[in-house]
Amino acid sequence: MFPLDSPWNLSFAGCGFLGIYHVGVASCLLEQAPFLVQNARHIYGASAGALTATTLVTGVCLGEAGAGIIDVAKEARKRFLGPLHPSFNLVKIMRQMMQRNLPAGCHHVANGRLGISLTRVTDGENVLVSHFNNKEELVQACVCSAYIPVYSGLIPPTLQGVRYVDGGISDNLPLYELKNTITVSPFSGESDICPRDTSTNIHELRFTNTSIQFTLTNLYRVSRALFPPDPMVMKAMCKQGYKDGMHFLKRNGLLNFNGPLRDRPLLANGEENEEYNDDEGEEQEENKSDKEEEKPDVEQGAVIVYCGTTEEEQFVEHLPHTLHKALIKACMERRGLTQSLSNLLPVRMASTMMLPYTLPLESAVSMSLRLLEWLPDIQDDVGWMQEQILKILQHVLGQASKSISEHVSARFSWQLELNHYESLPSQFSSTSLFPSWVNGSSSSVQDVFMRLNQYKKQLMSGVLCINMDLQGTIKAGAMSPDNSPSSTLSDEGLTMDRF
Amino acid sequence: MDPATTTAPMQNDCETEPSSVWSWWPSWRPTSMSLLKTAESKILACIQNDVWSRFVTLPNRDRIWTLTLTNKGVRKTAEQALKTPLVMVHGFGGGVGLWIRNVDALSRSRPVYAFDVLGFGRSSRPSFPSDATQAEKQFVDSIEQWRHSVGLENMILLGHSLGGYLATSYAMQYPTRVSHLILVDPWGFPERPQPQTQEGHGSEVNKRPPLPRWVKAIAAVVSLFNPLAVIRAAGPWGPGLVNRFRPDFKTKFEDLFEDDTMTQYIYHCNAQTPSGEVGFRAMSESLGWAKNPMLERVHQLPPSMPLTMLYGARSWVDSSSGDKVVQIRNQAPTKVMLIDDASHHMYADQPEEFNRVVENICNSVN
Repeated sequence: MFPLDSPWNLSFAGCGFLGIYHVGVASCLLEQAPFLVQNARHIYGASAGALTATTLVTGVCLGEAGAGIIDVAKEARKRFLGPLHPSFNLVKIMRQMMQRNLPAGCHHVANGRLGISLTRVTDGENVLVSHFNNKEELVQACVCSAYIPVYSGLIPPTLQGVRYVDGGISDNLPLYELKNTITVSPFSGESDICPRDTSTNIHELRFTNTSIQFTLTNLYRVSRALFPPDPMVMKAMCKQGYKDGMHFLKRNGLLNFNGPLRDRPLLANGEENEEYNDDEGEEQEENKSDKEEEKPDVEQGAVIVYCGTTEEEQFVEHLPHTLHKALIKACMERRGLTQSLSNLLPVRMASTMMLPYTLPLESAVSMSLRLLEWLPDIQDDVGWMQEQILKILQHVLGQASKSISEHVSARFSWQLELNHYESLPSQFSSTSLFPSWVNGSSSSVQDVFMRLNQYKKQLMSGVLCINMDLQGTIKAGAMSPDNSPSSTLSDEGLTMDRF
Repeated sequence: MDPATTTAPMQNDCETEPSSVWSWWPSWRPTSMSLLKTAESKILACIQNDVWSRFVTLPNRDRIWTLTLTNKGVRKTAEQALKTPLVMVHGFGGGVGLWIRNVDALSRSRPVYAFDVLGFGRSSRPSFPSDATQAEKQFVDSIEQWRHSVGLENMILLGHSLGGYLATSYAMQYPTRVSHLILVDPWGFPERPQPQTQEGHGSEVNKRPPLPRWVKAIAAVVSLFNPLAVIRAAGPWGPGLVNRFRPDFKTKFEDLFEDDTMTQYIYHCNAQTPSGEVGFRAMSESLGWAKNPMLERVHQLPPSMPLTMLYGARSWVDSSSGDKVVQIRNQAPTKVMLIDDASHHMYADQPEEFNRVVENICNSVN
């Protein structure tokens, strides 16, 4: 039984396009145990998890969120290189989608309740943002949280004047360690809500707090996080999420068994989505017949149909029908005339063969488009890039001068090195170089000798000691005395007996 | 000082490392038996009761690193001697150090033995045959020989993960030695689901998408290596790798060790020459299924032997195989228990609850 007497949190793991799984889980929680979401003190998320967390907190319809993810995935799959194609702009699509779907006053509800995990670029530390001044900031936080460097772009976005990238890099499952945090992850492992693979693999690893069991299915899932699968597969993932959420509720006794599941379309669309609720009434009647009509269509359209029809039907009974409809709709669109034309083998072959010619052209077009969009931010970003380049140059120079000094000190005597220290500032006139080099050198030279010492210990285990010339020069660096492996001689029975 | 300690034969405390022409060469992996020993002694320093640690030499000259804990308060050895001792078998890639949160509490009422399974931790690392049955036999024989050398008549046998599998196998072959079998998230129970070829109920089973070929190719490549080869191959980066990908070991024992003692220990346990790993690989197939799953054999346990299976509620080990064992064993005393809010390593996640449950089971024996 989940302890409901103390405040609890929800935490959604970052997972790229597998975020559709979160939508399934969230809809299950909303439908079967709405209090679990509404009374949760905080809802956290990283990357794709942040999107679902935002959706839950702001009360946006989950069906739209799910359809949105599938749309983006379809967009990504359109091109030859998938999401790596230059004309696929994930950040732009995401921002537009959120701007459209989020209600105007959403930052009020989100303040203090929603926590978005971000990674600060300057020091790589994790930041949990939970204060948003306006809707734009909330959208920007989500964009930052899902910004995977290189994959999404090269220049990290800013939020409140600070550059951030994907939260999954530093903390993929915010506050998982609190006892009362319900963790949701699409990778099978030891999260509260996660798929249960029928595998007995002993190996498990933690990717920045997310537990991932080493199974084949997980391997597949990880690959699909950045390169989205077929919409039908994504829909199945959503259902899987719903099922796992259900499993969690049942196991913890949070499920109220007072009525058949389908009679409670509680999907909390919130006040903002009343129009959606309105059509829901009409749709409900049609739903049954609709389903039968749609199903064969969809299955024809799908590239991989791996779910047996009977199995599919069973799941459909579970998935809330608003969500189901939205997903079906999202999956359906691919059957346009142009789509089916371009799916023909000759057309596909032709387009593949033309690729060497079309790709540069498309790249050029999308590059210039991006450049145009970039214009407003160009000053900031160029400034930032200058800063970064300066930093890198400083670092390189520091390293170089350090290695020079090491060489010199190894060759010549101690006094000579002192002279060198004194003469260096005049050689390098850069003002910013001097302090960083002096600070840096002592610690890292010490490091080198620590390493050497370790190796020496392994090498001779205290019997034979080559008196390294280097040893002499570093004495000024306050080296700790060489602790030789004295422990090897002590008797086991005695050392263990301390109490 | 414990009288037993002083009378114990003086043994050199480290497995002698193979000396060869290349032994002077700095090793790629920053590990050694003595480093493991240092890491372990840091952990064992937390034990408050009387602990006697030594190598038990088996007839075939393999040595098993053994801890024996007895209650400091109770001086009446007669009373303790009456109690059936508890023997704890750790899981894959572990060692006695992982029981640090449990041995003290459990040794209050009875002696507790914990040992490094052959091929793991500080025990000898012999070569294992590549045949599943033979490998299993080597493990189980080592346990039996260990029992004989230590001089235990019977015991309450507790096994975690891979240790649970071995304990079950041991209890089948030497049923008179085991008064109660406790399995903690045991590995190797369920059978591998057969790829369905029949048309009849194909849709029932084929819930998951057929995995793409490249996934299977990767699996085939991976299964050529020992499970923890990555840690060894990483060399000087190995400890960092363990820290990065298993920070949970650090957090589980956070209140005992501020620094990364525990991850160091895990690293040194596993970065040595692979041995137990080889045995494990022989017994498993396609990333983690047991070649000879226990569900097929569990009926060989004598009906009179009480069996308790503990599962972590959050663990990836499926507790449904516990329910199947209950069905298979029918009338025999079998219990399945779930430990709330606990992962696979429930003894470290919820030590109080775990100790309480195990102690209750032990008290039910005598």
